[in-house]
Amino acid sequence: MILKTKQLSKSFGGLKAINKVDFELPKNEIRGIIGPNGSGKSTFFNLVSGIYDSDPGSYIEFDGHDITFAPPHEIASYGLSRTFQLLRLYQDMTVIDNVMSGYHTRVPYKFFDAVIGRKKIWDQERAIKEEMMELLSFVGLADYAELNASELSGGQRRLLVLARAIAMKPKLLMLDEPAAGLSPVNVDNLMKIIMQLKEKYGLTLIIIEHILKVVMDTCNSVTVFDHGQKIAEGTPAQVKDDNAVIEAYLGKKMDDEEMRKALAV
Amino acid sequence: MEKFKSIIRDYPFIAFIIAFVILAFVPSVVFTDVYQSHLATLIFVNIVVAAGLNIVKGYCGQVTVGHVGLFAVGSYTAGTLFLYLGLGFWATLPIAIIVTAFFGVAMGIPSFRLEGPYLALATLGGGEAIRLFIENGNFFRSTFGISDIPTPSLMGYNFDSPDRYYFISMTIMIIAVYFSFSILRSGVGRAFMSIREDPICAAAAGINVKKYKILAFILSAMFAGAAGAVYAHMPPGYIHPNNYTVIEMVTFLAMVVLGGLGHIWGGIIGAIVITIVYDLTRPLYKYQLLIFGLTIVLTILFMPKGLGGFIDRYFLEKRFKKKTGTEKTT
Repeated sequence: MILKTKQLSKSFGGLKAINKVDFELPKNEIRGIIGPNGSGKSTFFNLVSGIYDSDPGSYIEFDGHDITFAPPHEIASYGLSRTFQLLRLYQDMTVIDNVMSGYHTRVPYKFFDAVIGRKKIWDQERAIKEEMMELLSFVGLADYAELNASELSGGQRRLLVLARAIAMKPKLLMLDEPAAGLSPVNVDNLMKIIMQLKEKYGLTLIIIEHILKVVMDTCNSVTVFDHGQKIAEGTPAQVKDDNAVIEAYLGKKMDDEEMRKALAV
Repeated sequence: MEKFKSIIRDYPFIAFIIAFVILAFVPSVVFTDVYQSHLATLIFVNIVVAAGLNIVKGYCGQVTVGHVGLFAVGSYTAGTLFLYLGLGFWATLPIAIIVTAFFGVAMGIPSFRLEGPYLALATLGGGEAIRLFIENGNFFRSTFGISDIPTPSLMGYNFDSPDRYYFISMTIMIIAVYFSFSILRSGVGRAFMSIREDPICAAAAGINVKKYKILAFILSAMFAGAAGAVYAHMPPGYIHPNNYTVIEMVTFLAMVVLGGLGHIWGGIIGAIVITIVYDLTRPLYKYQLLIFGLTIVLTILFMPKGLGGFIDRYFLEKRFKKKTGTEKTT
């Protein structure tokens, strides 16, 4: 198990955004997380990556480390990388700097070497830049490397955020709606790139996505959230026919008898 | 030429040694009177402060308006050490840098919880508090100021006139700029920039936000401390609380903003331009503050990346056009 949560809870005031979720994820799996808006998917991501503190009684374990109380940067250093729904691009930095800043946890040299400016540092910096340029050309942004990130189009921004999250060579990559707002052709293209990256770096993936086709086609297993609780888990086919899931999305499935009763009231 | 470029790329300090040699000949070749040397020293002091301010404000994005307080701490550490212990420049400079670094930590702690204008207010209070503390303390000679701070001497040679002191300030400036250059070009500079752009995302990418924020404050404080000590020992060796008011802070801010926030040469370009303009407009001293305020506003409106960013942009568009064959559309 690369990621494990036990009794994970988070409440904002009286609202239980996440309520006692037990979650387990084996290595090399692609896990989809679906659920209606406000069901706690993004909160789950924020809890795992340490942006929010979880409520007392929760337990999160990542790759053998207890990360329940760990700050975000420590969690990242264990090899957990994530993207954000609202991208959080570094707008005023160049594309290459964006990707290189994702490399931070792997930077090999010490601060004082950098202050003195030894030759070793510049060699290593150049090696990092080369590696990141390779990554950029892999996602198809190499030509734009020196432009500001704010000058990219919506689709390119999504690719850049993906590249930045990959730059730290994570063990687990959590994607928060990677394809939101893309046209169907671009979605296919993006998913293809994500799958290639998974193969290349041996990633484990968690994907939050509203486009069910993406989830059903690419994920090995799916977890469904509703009102902060895990209501179903299994292969895409199992989940698709699960009554609780259909209920959460479309409302309750009723037979004629029940329907008449409900309408009569 | 190619070979020379690659040598500079591997050993950037060679470029700084060349700059040192060129600058060393400037007084004897270019300058016509002593006053110009004095002005050059002021420029160098301002460059050191502006380079430090660029680290914390331009790169790390922490809006600090109390930087002049740190500059004052540097000056007054040097001044009081001379006054009570009779120490000379070579002892007071390192002590001033260390003491100012501690004040930098104090100035940086509010940045953990405050952002933008709120942090500006907190640091403004910090800077003014330092000045008022000095002005009202007999220990610091309050409004009399500390006078006759001696100029440094090295192996029997006394740098006792502006055209001699030029070499001291130039050396300190070159070393400071070299450090800021190496720090900002490395991964540390990138970490600072990510914190400026988005602290939450930076944390998720593995950057220890608090540590780097405080590091930025310490580094820039050390620059301010060094500049303060150099300023205190500058002939005629007189410091007064009035040299460390909010007006000076606005000037420092104008330097960084005009030169280019977050540009590696930003503070340096700005310090040169502003110090010279400041000197040329002395007859119009009533309007100087107005001019600098306007400069800041206009630069932010029409040239948000300052002179440095403006020049960079020109070359970038040229390169982009060459590479892709298309006009850049924005």
